[in-house]
Amino acid sequence: CYFLGFGATAQGQSTPSICSPSCHCDEDGLVDCSGKGLIAIPVGLSAFTYHLEVSMNNITELPADVFKNFPYLEELRLAGNDLAFIDPSALSGLNQLKILMLSNNQLKTVPSAALKDLHALQSLRMDANHITSVPEDSFKGLQQLRHLWLDDNNLTEVPIGSLRHQANLQALTLALNRISYIPDNAFANLTSLVVLHLHNNRIKEIGEHCFNGLVNLETLDLNFNNLMVFPRAIEALPKLKELGFHSNDIASIPEGAFHKNPLLRTIHLYDNPLSFVGATAFQNLTDLHSLMLRGASQMQDFPILTSTNNLESLTLTGTKISSIPAHLCEDLKLLRTLDLSYNQIEALPSFHGCVALQELNLQQNHVQQINRDTFHGLGSLRLLDLSRNGMVSIHRDAFLSLTALTNLDLSMNSLTGVPTTGLNSLSQLKLSGNLQMKNMLSAKSLPKLRSLSAPYAYQCCAFADCSPMMGHSEADDLKQPTDGEDVERISMIMRCTPSPGAFKPCEHLLGNWMIR
Amino acid sequence: AEGLAVCPKGCERCSEYNGCVKCKPKLFIFLERNDIRQMGVCLASCPVGYFGMRNPETNRCTQCKIENCEACFNRNFCTKCKDGFYSHRGRCHGTCPPGLTNTNGTMECI
Repeated sequence: CYFLGFGATAQGQSTPSICSPSCHCDEDGLVDCSGKGLIAIPVGLSAFTYHLEVSMNNITELPADVFKNFPYLEELRLAGNDLAFIDPSALSGLNQLKILMLSNNQLKTVPSAALKDLHALQSLRMDANHITSVPEDSFKGLQQLRHLWLDDNNLTEVPIGSLRHQANLQALTLALNRISYIPDNAFANLTSLVVLHLHNNRIKEIGEHCFNGLVNLETLDLNFNNLMVFPRAIEALPKLKELGFHSNDIASIPEGAFHKNPLLRTIHLYDNPLSFVGATAFQNLTDLHSLMLRGASQMQDFPILTSTNNLESLTLTGTKISSIPAHLCEDLKLLRTLDLSYNQIEALPSFHGCVALQELNLQQNHVQQINRDTFHGLGSLRLLDLSRNGMVSIHRDAFLSLTALTNLDLSMNSLTGVPTTGLNSLSQLKLSGNLQMKNMLSAKSLPKLRSLSAPYAYQCCAFADCSPMMGHSEADDLKQPTDGEDVERISMIMRCTPSPGAFKPCEHLLGNWMIR
Repeated sequence: AEGLAVCPKGCERCSEYNGCVKCKPKLFIFLERNDIRQMGVCLASCPVGYFGMRNPETNRCTQCKIENCEACFNRNFCTKCKDGFYSHRGRCHGTCPPGLTNTNGTMECI
């Protein structure tokens, strides 16, 4: 049966227009023949068709002039067929075609002859084919080309010749191919290019001038390659905003690495065997919001972050850094998360300028003491991890400002006591591993405490019902409420570990559990 | 039950509750919302408002996050703005940015 479509007579009534049994034709010229097991382009479609969807069929070739009756066609979707051959004149007549999708077919080369007259074409998709070669004249006639997908093919080199005339191209992906080297001036004439994806290739080496000419490039994706040297060629990219080279084999980031890329907002560089990072690498990057550096094991100097003052998240872990610049927080007023764990930091400056700080992780450093003003002014801080530092003392007013703190981890230190003034919002406190901390703990000034890990089980008796584990009188001694507030405290749902038990009674015998 | 006998077109592995969980090579998995559930379907190209992200393990339809954009190349670059919006270097504008004008009736600012 024929579907009613669109068409107009002189009197303006709509006349039944033509469609095909395998397709659905709508009023506006959109024809959908996708997924019908077709082996050829359906015949009998309207000349007014502007969008033709023939994806997911079994079409193996496009014969000559197969689209000659579609002068108004703007979008042609042929993705997910078995196209292996396109006749040189198969696409002739498509003067208005803007979007051509040939993704996910069996093409081994770019059908350059068939493409040459598509003068209005803006988007060309040939991703997920088996293309090994791109003839030099492939895109010659396509002066309006803006977006080109050649990803997920078998290219072993950048198709330099065919790109030479593409001054209007704005987005190009060559990802998921087998490119191993990028020569100098590979993209020299692509002056309008804004996005370049090269991820998931085998790029081991690139020319120092390989990105010359890309004066408008904003996004460069080199992730998942085999680069061993920092890509200095990025110095040719003054407009770069997003750079990715994570999951490569880069061992060091040189001094001034990004000094020619002042507009950088994001840099993805994780999963590289970094051992050295130049202290001036990340200077003057005013738009940088997040910086994540893990495991640069030979790095000794804290990066200079002057004028990189819009950082909201800084992760710098696994280095030999032993000190934090005193003026760090004068530069980084917008910082919300700071992770400096697993370094060799010995002393902390005052963080009082970091007023937006919400998470501070200093786990596994060598910080011996916390001074009165270390955390002064951090009224937004919610999470503070000072575990595994061998810390011996904390000034009694150190937490005075931390009125928003909910999680405090002081475990695995050498503390004998912990100040609680100011910790009105604290809900989780970790003190396990502070073996010198033997006194009974009082939760009087921790009204919101819900979870406590204490050094010894007996210290949990102040928060749990220990009567079953000991004589009646002993339980009363430990739990004897001194005033109303304690009664209310004890009745709350409170998780305290290690929980007292038969082998961990509430008495503390001479501090030596070995006697048990 | 995982691994239904008959999976939808283009699907390699599916489940009764979530539709397709692994598509055949080269196809994109798109998670359609179905009430509170997400149903996986396999597509040759992603629907309007989404772009196809190809990776060695899986190809996924990912939402364009650009204002007034209908089709995009990646998260940050629009290839087709909604009707009435002008495009300039992957962004969509109500009017052309200062110093730029739209070229002979197209909706692109240069």
